[in-house]
Amino acid sequence: MRKALLCGTALMAVFGLATLAPAADTIPVGHLACYTGPTSDVGAPYGNGVADAMKYINENGGVAGKQLEYETVDYAYKAPQAIATYKNWVSGLKPVAIQGWGTADTEALVQFVARDEIPYFSASYSGHLTDPTGKSPKTKSPAPYNFFYGPSYSDTCRGLVQWAAEDWKAKGKKETPKFIHMGANHPYPNAPKDACAAYAKELGFEVLNPIVYDLKPGDAKAQCLTLKDSGANYAYLGNTAGSNISLLNSCGTVGAKPQFLANVWGWDENSIKAAQESGDGVAVPLGSPSWKEDAPGMKTVRAIAKVSDPTGDTYRNLHYMRGVCSVFYMKDAMIAADKMKGGITGPNIKKGMEQMVNHVPAGLEGVCLPSTWTGEDHRGTTSVQVYTTTYNGGDFKFNKQSTIDVPRRDDWLGW
Amino acid sequence: MASAHSRMRCGEFRTTYQADMTIFPTPLARRVAIGSVLLLLLAPLVLNAYYLNLMIQIGYYGIAALGLNIVVGFTGQISLGHAAFFGLGAFTSAWISNNSGIPVFFTIPLAGMLTMAVGLIVGIPAGRIKGLYLAIATLASQYILEDFFARADWFTGGSSGAMAKPFSIFGHEMYTDQSFFYVVLFYVVVMFVAGANLMRSRDGRAFIAVRDHYLSAEIMGINLNKYRILSFGISSFYAGIGGALFGHYLGFVSVEGFTLVLSIQFLAMVIIGGLGSVMGAMFGTVFMVLLPEVMEFGVYLVGSDNTALTQALAYIKEMAIGLAIILFLIFEPDGLSHRWKMIKNYWKLYPFSY
Repeated sequence: MRKALLCGTALMAVFGLATLAPAADTIPVGHLACYTGPTSDVGAPYGNGVADAMKYINENGGVAGKQLEYETVDYAYKAPQAIATYKNWVSGLKPVAIQGWGTADTEALVQFVARDEIPYFSASYSGHLTDPTGKSPKTKSPAPYNFFYGPSYSDTCRGLVQWAAEDWKAKGKKETPKFIHMGANHPYPNAPKDACAAYAKELGFEVLNPIVYDLKPGDAKAQCLTLKDSGANYAYLGNTAGSNISLLNSCGTVGAKPQFLANVWGWDENSIKAAQESGDGVAVPLGSPSWKEDAPGMKTVRAIAKVSDPTGDTYRNLHYMRGVCSVFYMKDAMIAADKMKGGITGPNIKKGMEQMVNHVPAGLEGVCLPSTWTGEDHRGTTSVQVYTTTYNGGDFKFNKQSTIDVPRRDDWLGW
Repeated sequence: MASAHSRMRCGEFRTTYQADMTIFPTPLARRVAIGSVLLLLLAPLVLNAYYLNLMIQIGYYGIAALGLNIVVGFTGQISLGHAAFFGLGAFTSAWISNNSGIPVFFTIPLAGMLTMAVGLIVGIPAGRIKGLYLAIATLASQYILEDFFARADWFTGGSSGAMAKPFSIFGHEMYTDQSFFYVVLFYVVVMFVAGANLMRSRDGRAFIAVRDHYLSAEIMGINLNKYRILSFGISSFYAGIGGALFGHYLGFVSVEGFTLVLSIQFLAMVIIGGLGSVMGAMFGTVFMVLLPEVMEFGVYLVGSDNTALTQALAYIKEMAIGLAIILFLIFEPDGLSHRWKMIKNYWKLYPFSY
């Protein structure tokens, strides 16, 4: 596909044509992936999930009889690179929807996609992307064309904090619990920082000064010593899994052992294996069943996984499932758009998304959480399923703790 | 029929010092330069967005690379902080246009001025130290500015970055590649003519004297401190203009774009293009911008179905840049501009080259 595009570009330059119009019977979709760069540890499985799902859809009749014409670009988690790719797409591929990745680039593109009316399905669950109208006083800028599947980072963190408060009570402790935010100075870990701290305060936590550690895995003993000295009881980890593994190992070494609360990209099967004892007991929100579980929709997921691995033996981690869900919500919105006046266009896909009520894509029951989007609220779901992980010498277990339905407060929209 | 040869003189006869100092060495060179600018004016009518995008990139990086060539190639100093100035220009222009209502048309030169002011300050160590010590001092300025960008929320938007308005003139916004191309072309022509002119001036000759032998230059009465610092200032002005164009073209400015890696790439541009050559800065930029694109094209020609190869593309691009620098250092240390001179000489003597 890419080759055809490049050759086409070269040919058209020779003949001096100015435009590159996509064929009429395909649906152009951009796919910004992070296969290299600091978040590639979770970006690669998610990106594979997105790519496999789109290929699977094409192999099974496409969307309303039309094939998805998708182009995957690895932007290595560099926001300027993502913007440059987006600009290229707008003048070349002319996508009607985009599957994106990180917070920095997604938030930077908010105004662009709103201007060009291109629905943007990010893997960034930043709370800043949830207010389509900009009515909420906390919203910096409205994000009418942004969607993502899952509870926002802020809501996830609120859910974890709520669980932490219950956990503290259950343990029968009397003193004020201390909460701390940890993460790189980057839009993704920063996204829930203030929102979550405010809620933690509301629940009676003492909120400590945040600790900064790098998104790229590296030694973090200095940060762990600070953490130990601070006396924090609950520490939110804002970075991705690779970075958290090295942090937890460092903290294991210096003996800093609060209850860690990882964000949705911050902990998975691979990290449990890599961090071993240091990672024992980390609390994590899960947005999908794991590969070995037998939810009804996992049959479809396994069929999708065979697209890139015909044997079906490769273990796919949690992020893969979320990539699949993101594509299938987009697909269902496209099917709805196809029946509208004007067909599959950006604004119609947006409308298709905003009419979903407790929607689960067909074939993915039990995999994707029921989600609702409206014209005024792009918080698909606020249900946070809290698990802890146990490591026992080579094997690990996810233990379900509770499902926390974070309230949909109006003043939390866009925050 | 008049051939190109009859219009080209059979030799260059320079009988006055003035003739030795013209911008264009021969009338033909002047005509070619003017002709190619006129041809470029037609480019947006003919080329598609992909090629225009590459040419715009070449434009703003080329301006910044010329700035670095002034400090490295002409004055013989070293700077590892050029990307930070490039970024400062981008952030400054975005910040002024977002906060003051001044149209982008004016904020670009303003950003250049402010970057120049900072460059003059950062250049102060250059008056005192040389060589590796100066390299480390400029490295420090790169890190200080980078850290400033990541933290100064009021100025840069912190780690989230800042939006930059599209270029506007008389209320007319230019955010398509077709229209922005003319903006960049205008600045490229102005900055390169100014750069070529600078080297003919008293100050330009002083730069070269400082580079060639600082002791002799000082004995001749050249104020070393003044010219070393001035060279940093002018270089930063170029970086600021280039950065501002970059920011308004992309529409978004983020600290991630201005790391040490970009500083090294600017150095690679001037080394590959030719140290101490105005056109060399442009040659080097063209080379560095097109190399990754050519690699990508090559990879897809060889095996678009080979997933291992396409996933390795990011690394192949990085390695190609490294390899290119090493190969140039070994086989063509004087850069592309020297190679270009050789090609011209070959045709000048054709077919009776000795």
